[in-house]
Amino acid sequence: MAKITINGQLVKVKKGTTILSAARQLGIDIPTLCFLEEINEIGFCRICVVEVEGEQDLISACNTEITNGMVIQTDSDKVRQSREATLQLLASRHRFDCWRCPKDGMCEFYDLLKSHDVVFEEFGPGIGRSSDLIAGSGISQDQSKCVLCKRCVAVCQNVVTANVLKFRDDDDPMNPIVSPTPGLAFDDAGCIFCGQCVKACPTGTLFETDHTNDVLTFLRNKDDHVVVQLDTRVNGAIAESFGYDIDTPFEETFGKTVKALELLGFDTVTTLDYGEDYHARATAEELLKRLEDKDNLPLFTSSCPASTRFLELYEPERLDHIATVKSPHILQGSQLKHKLLKQKPANTKVVTLSSCTAKKYERTREELVTAGVADVDTALTVREITKLMKQKGIAYRNLEAATPDPAVTSEHVAVQGGVLVAVLNAAHQIKTGEPLAELTFKHVHGEKESDGFIEEATVQLGEAKLNVARVIGGAAFKELFARSNKKNYHLIEFLMCPGGCLNGGGMPIHKNLTTHEVIARRETSYCDGGTDLPLSNPLHNHLVDDNFADDPSIHTGYSQKEYRKE
Amino acid sequence: MTTKSQDVNALFEQWILDAETRLQEEDMFTKIKSYLESTHPEICGKCIPCRDGVPKLERLFDKYIQGEATLKDLKEIERIVYNLRASRCSVGLDIGKNMEVILENNYNVLYSPVKKY
Repeated sequence: MAKITINGQLVKVKKGTTILSAARQLGIDIPTLCFLEEINEIGFCRICVVEVEGEQDLISACNTEITNGMVIQTDSDKVRQSREATLQLLASRHRFDCWRCPKDGMCEFYDLLKSHDVVFEEFGPGIGRSSDLIAGSGISQDQSKCVLCKRCVAVCQNVVTANVLKFRDDDDPMNPIVSPTPGLAFDDAGCIFCGQCVKACPTGTLFETDHTNDVLTFLRNKDDHVVVQLDTRVNGAIAESFGYDIDTPFEETFGKTVKALELLGFDTVTTLDYGEDYHARATAEELLKRLEDKDNLPLFTSSCPASTRFLELYEPERLDHIATVKSPHILQGSQLKHKLLKQKPANTKVVTLSSCTAKKYERTREELVTAGVADVDTALTVREITKLMKQKGIAYRNLEAATPDPAVTSEHVAVQGGVLVAVLNAAHQIKTGEPLAELTFKHVHGEKESDGFIEEATVQLGEAKLNVARVIGGAAFKELFARSNKKNYHLIEFLMCPGGCLNGGGMPIHKNLTTHEVIARRETSYCDGGTDLPLSNPLHNHLVDDNFADDPSIHTGYSQKEYRKE
Repeated sequence: MTTKSQDVNALFEQWILDAETRLQEEDMFTKIKSYLESTHPEICGKCIPCRDGVPKLERLFDKYIQGEATLKDLKEIERIVYNLRASRCSVGLDIGKNMEVILENNYNVLYSPVKKY
């Protein structure tokens, strides 16, 4: 224990804590910009500076450990003036177009400028900070808004382990930039489009590539039949954007979301449950086939497009392991166009609405075409759809509940478990005639979301004993590959985003809540009392039952992708 | 300030030892500016006060050289110089301390040419 004085308050804190966390424990808020707990504690931005008695200079609170007898002032004149001057310098190199910025009110930099009442004179963006977009099919970057906090770099390196974004200060240290390989788009630089950098960015520098105009074009065209397939997990997030609490129960807002989508002009509103169940059932059949042939095990699920791309880019020798089944939303898109809806496939436009920026990339893949028509035409994130709803002037809170089109939508049942559980359950029932009695996962790796989690379970499937694993968060991928050298796995689910889809790159941003808290609260809203629910079972889905056919149109292939890094 | 290898250091020694030294106004501003420019290779570009503060200071001294400086600019110079105390490493801190010495010893020189109204 160490005794310190913060703003005149004498307190005892544990040794080894930083000034910032000590102050936050006391309820004293020190503003920060580049700080991300345990991911980015580098003291680049100098916003969190404090005055320490006996020190000549101001000290950054985020990465300085306390020592016994420290006397700290967090809001003296000197500190406030320094923060203001630093913000002025930053602001003078930031391009302000807040009213059309993709960050839309969630900008931490804006809040800092506001709370410090900063007046500044422009002296223009420096060299190499042009407002030209660095394009990408899933995410894009506008460097003129970058404040060089390095948060995205830390996330890309440590949480996602893709190492695409880098702090480039070799050429001209006075004008560093953060970018993928200079001169290349994100697609060519090895980006997997998970979108975690978008969530980490305190300004609107990184954002999901805007596809709202595509959707508006579809909606305007009278000949097009536009279908929106809503991932039920994002329903709560849409409600969040209209002022509901994060943990508002799913049933309360789902009808409103459907109504809002109808009002936007979509001809058919449906959910992704059909695609998910279809995908799980097809994957289960593939698993059983592979187990029989003892071929290419473990099987990797193909539901997460970011993980699939990660494997294509950085683990090309493991491509045979990925299930050849198309991912749920693509599968459902092709089914909607060719089977379920009685429309011309070319005139049916399918829009996926999910929490994922990687789906934006996924739909551009050449492999995902059925009979010459792309399976999914556009993918939108939650932030984009709420933007469209607000533009249209939809008063979400006052809407009456509506239901999705019953002809193409499976009933939404509250179940526990994601793709992995569904696949196992289906495989078990196909093999033995009975669904799984129970399934408990053991947590074997990772303490917090940013480390990535690995959960393992063993399942008795007939005579065979299966080792299955679920990997959540890119940081744990390496660990799992190391484990798979020692242990024989049969089925592995990969999720790229730390915390899974509920923390996907396209979800609304929460400034004042930790990732862990956001995920936990979204979970309660989505499925209250999660552990008592039945395991998800795709075989109970009648719509899938009626339409299931293991034909080539539900399969795809993978190939190694090229990238260039410096 | 013990090494005499660099011109700028010699310049500072002179300024520090002899606070009364009154340089030609124009000469002094260009010297300060060239000192600031000479620090560029050392700046790593990581923290804001130093990376963005130094070019901003140069801009403000440009105004002095052109004879367009106002009282506001002088205050701005002061603020940015004191803000260098918040830098991350000794490069920025040293530039700040050197600049503080300049302000302390030559404030009258900096003050006299400003347009007050």
